[in-house]
Amino acid sequence: MSVGARLADLEITRAWLVDPASSREGPGEIVVTDGILQAVTWLDGAEAEGVDASGVIVTPGFLDLHAHFREPGNEDAETIATGLAAAAHGGFTAVCVMPNTTPPLDEPSVLARIRDAVAASGSPVTLLAHGAVSAGRAGLQLAALGELADAGVVGFSDDGAPVHSASLFRNALAYAGMLGLPIIDHAEDTTITEGAEANEGLIATVLGLRGWPGAAEAGAVARDLAILADVLRDVPGARLHLTHLSTAASLELVRHAKAAGLPVTCDVTPHHLGLTEDWIAGARRWSWEALGDDGAARDPWRDGAITALPFDPSLRVNPPLRSATDAAACLAALADGTADAIATDHAPHTEVDKAVEFGLAANGISGIETALGVVLAAVDAGRLTLATAIAALTTGPARVLGDRAPGGGRPRGLIEGEPADLVVFDRSATWTVDAEALASKGRNSPLLGRELSGRVLLTVAGGRIAYEAPED
Amino acid sequence: MDPALTAPGDVADLAVPESVASGNPAPAGRWTHRHLLDVDVLSADDLDLVMQTSATMTGVLARPIPKVPALRGWGVTILFYEASTRTRVSFEVAAKNLSADVVNIAAASSSVTKGESLIDTIRTVEALGARMLVIRHGASGAPYLAAEHFSGSVLNGGDGWHAHPTQALLDLYTMRTHLPGGTVAGRKVVILGDVLHSRVARSNLWALTAAGADVWVCGPTTLLRGFETWAAAGVAGSRRFTVTSDVGAALRDADVVMALRIQRERMAGGLLPSLREYAARFGLTRERLGLAKPDALVMHPGPMNEGVEIAPDVAAGSRSLITDQVANGVAVRMAVLYLLAGAREGAARGTRE
Repeated sequence: MSVGARLADLEITRAWLVDPASSREGPGEIVVTDGILQAVTWLDGAEAEGVDASGVIVTPGFLDLHAHFREPGNEDAETIATGLAAAAHGGFTAVCVMPNTTPPLDEPSVLARIRDAVAASGSPVTLLAHGAVSAGRAGLQLAALGELADAGVVGFSDDGAPVHSASLFRNALAYAGMLGLPIIDHAEDTTITEGAEANEGLIATVLGLRGWPGAAEAGAVARDLAILADVLRDVPGARLHLTHLSTAASLELVRHAKAAGLPVTCDVTPHHLGLTEDWIAGARRWSWEALGDDGAARDPWRDGAITALPFDPSLRVNPPLRSATDAAACLAALADGTADAIATDHAPHTEVDKAVEFGLAANGISGIETALGVVLAAVDAGRLTLATAIAALTTGPARVLGDRAPGGGRPRGLIEGEPADLVVFDRSATWTVDAEALASKGRNSPLLGRELSGRVLLTVAGGRIAYEAPED
Repeated sequence: MDPALTAPGDVADLAVPESVASGNPAPAGRWTHRHLLDVDVLSADDLDLVMQTSATMTGVLARPIPKVPALRGWGVTILFYEASTRTRVSFEVAAKNLSADVVNIAAASSSVTKGESLIDTIRTVEALGARMLVIRHGASGAPYLAAEHFSGSVLNGGDGWHAHPTQALLDLYTMRTHLPGGTVAGRKVVILGDVLHSRVARSNLWALTAAGADVWVCGPTTLLRGFETWAAAGVAGSRRFTVTSDVGAALRDADVVMALRIQRERMAGGLLPSLREYAARFGLTRERLGLAKPDALVMHPGPMNEGVEIAPDVAAGSRSLITDQVANGVAVRMAVLYLLAGAREGAARGTRE
């Protein structure tokens, strides 16, 4: 069987099924015939005996709200084809790409080019696109929002070049609200992050890196929420999605806004929940291992946790890796529903842009293939339930996209009679993240050399094979 | 194989060229670091060894011909991405005093301006025969990248705001030479000025706290950002220090006062209202120095803005060690080059850092 081929026939017996759409998980079996999920059988009693969540797991295919596939314009870093292959390797069957290509996706012709590349790739993974908020992502005037909506974009974002003007941001929220689409904001007040390199705090201070204050994010989130509240009076359909939130303070703002009924959603990334600023100093422990009993971040030097050289440029990312406390807040936000989704912010870069001095390195982590492994590490550590984790990779992001989600807003679940869209992974099987194991062109992962659990065995998108693990 | 300098204090041994030709010129087993990238990895014993070896080198410098063959045949490349006279010349003189073959590369005149990456430059430098690389770079951490791609030893000559190890070592050496009892342990050492942007301050914090000094850092709040967090964390166990903007409290009964350079760019960044205001509130004047102990030592890593962070009469006063720092810089850099060359054995065994 090869990528793109219809999955003729598959029977998985005695697996652990996780189906957030029906809020069910447990022992079960699935049958796929000619690409259609023919049967989903939940086992109980004696049949279920010996089946638990530590082995083979079947879930709906993952949906990533935030990735960079670099095409058109930076095909040396990633192409649509390699990005889709990487997505499938990571268990994703649908990916939303950001518009910061060259040229940017600020008018429909760029989307046509992207779709041609998807078709040429032969990948069955669904590619969705966010259009730019402003023309040229320059933050001065609105992009062709209506035309982009007609062409099928699922949201609008200037991502790494966040809309600085509060006035333009307000207009964008109102206009996109009319179109029924969310504004996806990378919340950062760039006036306080100019030249910033690492989260402002102990690690940046000790390493002499320019501090990147958490206030840059929380301040922008507060502004966005205040503007959203205003816009809603005139435009009830206005919707805001805050992507890759990374601080306890900004997640707390979203928690309050949601409680007040504002139509806001948000996502967190695997690296912000699993990794911390300590990694820049040379620590390599998960965020929860760096958390003291009092909830404060532990001192990696005092703990003797420094095991690698400092200043690894693969750790330079925007927003920066934060403290263990912030990472814990990201996990808590997933648990209580403040965060709706886990999005990868997959950001592949060439070696030329990344294997340089820390402060000169491009921002970003190639992360779509390691997302599941990092999330499962949090599950293994008891920081997240498996059900919450899978929901944040499936139904959560689908809810953010509403009726523009793949399947027109139908639940992202294990649904009999529909084309199979699922991922099969082995929780107990590990794989080593090395450059050769990655389908992405971006080898800029701080996890290179690390063993992750949850090896993906099979990814099926729309009834067709997207990824199949090589035979051992 | 000639084990050579088992006693680092023995100057006569330095004159033995075989000690270098054998590739084993240093006290094997005592100095294990292949590179000098930061002072945070140096133990109290390491610091003592550098101090002892520096004293040896001071002896060499006192000779009529201050030159020994210890690094004869060694290629030492001095690669500076930032303008510097004092540190670059100090390294050059140090290496030449050890008979090394020195190549100077100033980034502005090299292919760096043609877009060559740091890694490419490092490989080129190595291909041209360098066995030791002294690097200064504006980006914090750049010497670590260099060390990853260079098969010899890398010496950090100052990186961004991060570290300036040889400056901290020469400061420690200078203090030990002039303080009664020859130790900084228990002495109140004040670092006064733009701590935030200072690699000298950071490296001195590590070295001085490791050596047991009671370290205070003092300056306006905008130039101390993050240091309260560091002080509270007491990184690496007992290494604590005090952070304050109260210049009186800082200077009171100080044994050593080190003023740091204030750069004009800080005004543009909105960190300070004016140099005049800085000088009035934080400048090291004769009057302020009166708060310190009567025999307090005055230091400055240079270059100075006289009349801003330090008054001219204080800089030129009898307690000032500023020219001693420059002279000691050569001895300490000779010591470090010498010790790193000796660590080649360790490097061959795969020891890093």
